[in-house]
Amino acid sequence: MSLSRKFLMLLIYVLSVTFCAQNIKINAQNFTLLTSEKVFEAGSEIVLSFATSTNLKPQLYCSNSYGNTLVTPDLKNKTLTYSIPEFITKKRGIVFWKLITEKEEISGNFEITPLTKTNTLETYLGPPSIEAGGTDFTMLVVIPSDSLDNPLPENTEIIAKHQFLSDEIQEKIITENLLAFKNIFSPKKDGRMIISSSSSTLNSKEFDVNIMPAIATNFEIFVNRNHEYADGNQISTFSTSIIKDKNNNIISDGSFVYFYITNSKNAVLKTSGTTINGVAKAKIIHPDHEDTWQVKAYFLGISESNVITVNYKKAVQDFSIAFSKDNRTLKIGPIKSFMNQRIPDGLQVKLTIYKDKKIIKTIVKDPNNGFVNFSLDKNIYPNDVYDLEISTAGIVKTFKAKKLW
Amino acid sequence: MVNSNRKLLRAILMLGYILVICIIVFLISSLYSYFNTGADRSKILHTELQKETIYTPTISWKKDGNEGRKISEQTLNEIENDYLNAWYVQHIAYKTNTKTGIDDYFTKNARKNIFAFIDENKKEKTTIESTTLQHNLDLLFFSEDGQLAVLEDKNVLEYKQVFKNDQLILETTENSDYKFILLLEDGFWRIRHKIKQSSKPYNFTPIPINVDSLNIKGINYYPQKTPWDMFGNSFEIETITNDFKIIKNSGLNSVRIFVPYEDFGKATVNDNKLNKLKLVLDSAEKEGLKVVLTLFDFYGNYDVLDWTLTYKHATTIVSTFKNHPAILAWDLKNEPNLDFDSRGKETVIAWLENLIILIKSVDENHPITIGWSNIESATILKDKVDFVSFHYYEDLKDFEKSYQSLKNNIPNKPLVLQEFGVSSYSGFWKPFGLSEKQQASFHQEIQKVLTKNKISFMSWTLYDFEEVPKEVVGKLPWRTNPQKSFGFISSEGIKKPAFKHITH
Repeated sequence: MSLSRKFLMLLIYVLSVTFCAQNIKINAQNFTLLTSEKVFEAGSEIVLSFATSTNLKPQLYCSNSYGNTLVTPDLKNKTLTYSIPEFITKKRGIVFWKLITEKEEISGNFEITPLTKTNTLETYLGPPSIEAGGTDFTMLVVIPSDSLDNPLPENTEIIAKHQFLSDEIQEKIITENLLAFKNIFSPKKDGRMIISSSSSTLNSKEFDVNIMPAIATNFEIFVNRNHEYADGNQISTFSTSIIKDKNNNIISDGSFVYFYITNSKNAVLKTSGTTINGVAKAKIIHPDHEDTWQVKAYFLGISESNVITVNYKKAVQDFSIAFSKDNRTLKIGPIKSFMNQRIPDGLQVKLTIYKDKKIIKTIVKDPNNGFVNFSLDKNIYPNDVYDLEISTAGIVKTFKAKKLW
Repeated sequence: MVNSNRKLLRAILMLGYILVICIIVFLISSLYSYFNTGADRSKILHTELQKETIYTPTISWKKDGNEGRKISEQTLNEIENDYLNAWYVQHIAYKTNTKTGIDDYFTKNARKNIFAFIDENKKEKTTIESTTLQHNLDLLFFSEDGQLAVLEDKNVLEYKQVFKNDQLILETTENSDYKFILLLEDGFWRIRHKIKQSSKPYNFTPIPINVDSLNIKGINYYPQKTPWDMFGNSFEIETITNDFKIIKNSGLNSVRIFVPYEDFGKATVNDNKLNKLKLVLDSAEKEGLKVVLTLFDFYGNYDVLDWTLTYKHATTIVSTFKNHPAILAWDLKNEPNLDFDSRGKETVIAWLENLIILIKSVDENHPITIGWSNIESATILKDKVDFVSFHYYEDLKDFEKSYQSLKNNIPNKPLVLQEFGVSSYSGFWKPFGLSEKQQASFHQEIQKVLTKNKISFMSWTLYDFEEVPKEVVGKLPWRTNPQKSFGFISSEGIKKPAFKHITH
């Protein structure tokens, strides 16, 4: 009996205690922040302690730069301790916390500062090639960070270094907005610049920038040919002087030059070439008749050359034409060139047939061994009177009222 | 026996053979498709344009120049897009504790920090539903080669709900400043460093608008032919103008009109719909009626990640019409308390609260209210709204008492009876419903109470309707049929006896 009574008493006691415990609301006044530090170094152990008068263990909400989480406390001797997890303590920035209580809000901030020792110099350099001459520049960007991958505080000193030929230059730059940067202007000469950065204890790797020659300045052109006769067979080569930029650097290989040729009839011919060691060469076949060329070269929109005049002399002085008896076969030749040699195959010989002053047919042939034969078929050209015109190498011969039979 | 065993064996062999062939074909085909995917050139360049609007917090740029290279508008837009996407994938990651999408918007070193949180939260069964409502961006630095940018984002408004074992244990709104380093990698602007510069809890007390002179004698309005679809294809301004004339001539001074959320185009509000709404407001102004504009009709999502879309919608509508003389007040949502059970009371209230903050920031002049469906809910957010609106469809004889107790609860803000009325449907689905005469006497009676207590009111509704969409009261005929007959005017256009008591 007494045992069961004791048991009953105990039960009532336990029930009432649980009931009371449930009734104790988590009240803000029950928690007082004990930790007074507001600034911690990254990676150090951070523990927030609260004095409490209850046995409740509210969770602590923590929010740093990257995310949010909840921390569960330890309760010992009326003190709640929250150890902030490592993934929060090692990142630079403000940590906002809030104690999750039912009534008033207890919240606060603490700051995590980066370590002072530089561990990495995250360096970016660009653009990777710039133009010589001192107007173009490349930008060196350095993000110094500590061993926990936090950017170092403002005003951290970084030394930016660059070498070009005999110059080695060092300059101090300081971080602002998480990084330090420096614009490195190009020297006058082309070549390769070596760039690096360092802090008090650490050196970055080597970066290089190509200093490319600037754009071309005006230049001269020349012509080079085997002979000056208009034989329609040989090739003339145009070349430029060594093209340089304004600082006397030879322009980059592969720069494209256009040669514009204006002939005596004001028609424009075009040829082009790319530079090697500053010289561009372009070729064109000789005209097949006497002509005078005006030649000018351009880097389109950039620079141009002088104008040169190139004369082509007559190669073929005259040629003979023999008609057959019925005038239906024409034998032209031998066509002779400047040394009376028979001209090479390939010259154009044109026969134009007129009837009543209207062109009825144009026949083009090229000579074989200096001779060209035209035969006019009876079925195509019925017996009648025709005008015939033969032209080659700029010479035109006309036969009026030739009767074909 | 031997025979059947042999047949069985043969069948097994054949099936096994087919199975083996299937497996081989499958393996070869997957090998083939493996070697034929992933080499899509359009994907290498990350130039696809498919994009859905999913995240639209308020953004402002402080365009005061920056260190380094001058930035083009297009690049700035690209940075803004990817920056917002980074926030969005982060919200998703913390909501679901998965790592999807983080790789695209955080560099290899930065994503480790997020993964650490996700792993911990997953282990502890903590999830965080969050969104950001406001960003004030400033480009501090843009590198000469266009591959690196430093961004500052001040007064970022972050709303978070923290869940532990699926139980909401904390709601918090913080106002924080951040600095970012972003790198252009594979066509994405990825976050390399993210540093919180400051953070404090955000508290907002709206500046109340004086609405002492509020004297609403109004009616809830839908056109007779197109109830709940006022701005649809059958929109006719002439019909609406005629109805406004009827309302004005009956002695009323205001109407309540609903703006459907999806119909208006969600976050990207359709200009065509805005024009229709403008015609309606112009017409109301011409007829001398004021308009209580109820936003977010047929909206019911409230998901924290959906908030920015709804806020963009509200910003567009409020900023378009905030200077329109016909606007009387913004009614944020019709009967949001009906969504408490399905969407969570805290979430719905937080959505409304943040919506108030937003609308107050866009329009300082017009009062804000919320159309609670009953008197009990009307005290929610009473300190944040400018006047309190509630609907009353319960017993008429209790009305005065309920009103008085609400008045005692909210002594310093005007109360508006924003919906009330009875159906004159009496038929198969509701044999003991009220007749048109009884409806008239209801209005007569309630008008007496309204006059006696000087209560602003908006009755439901001008017309009887022929169709009620299922979204309103469902499909059940004993619900839809009474809903059709709340009007003062029958669907044939004949004034019912109640029309005499449309106002006092």
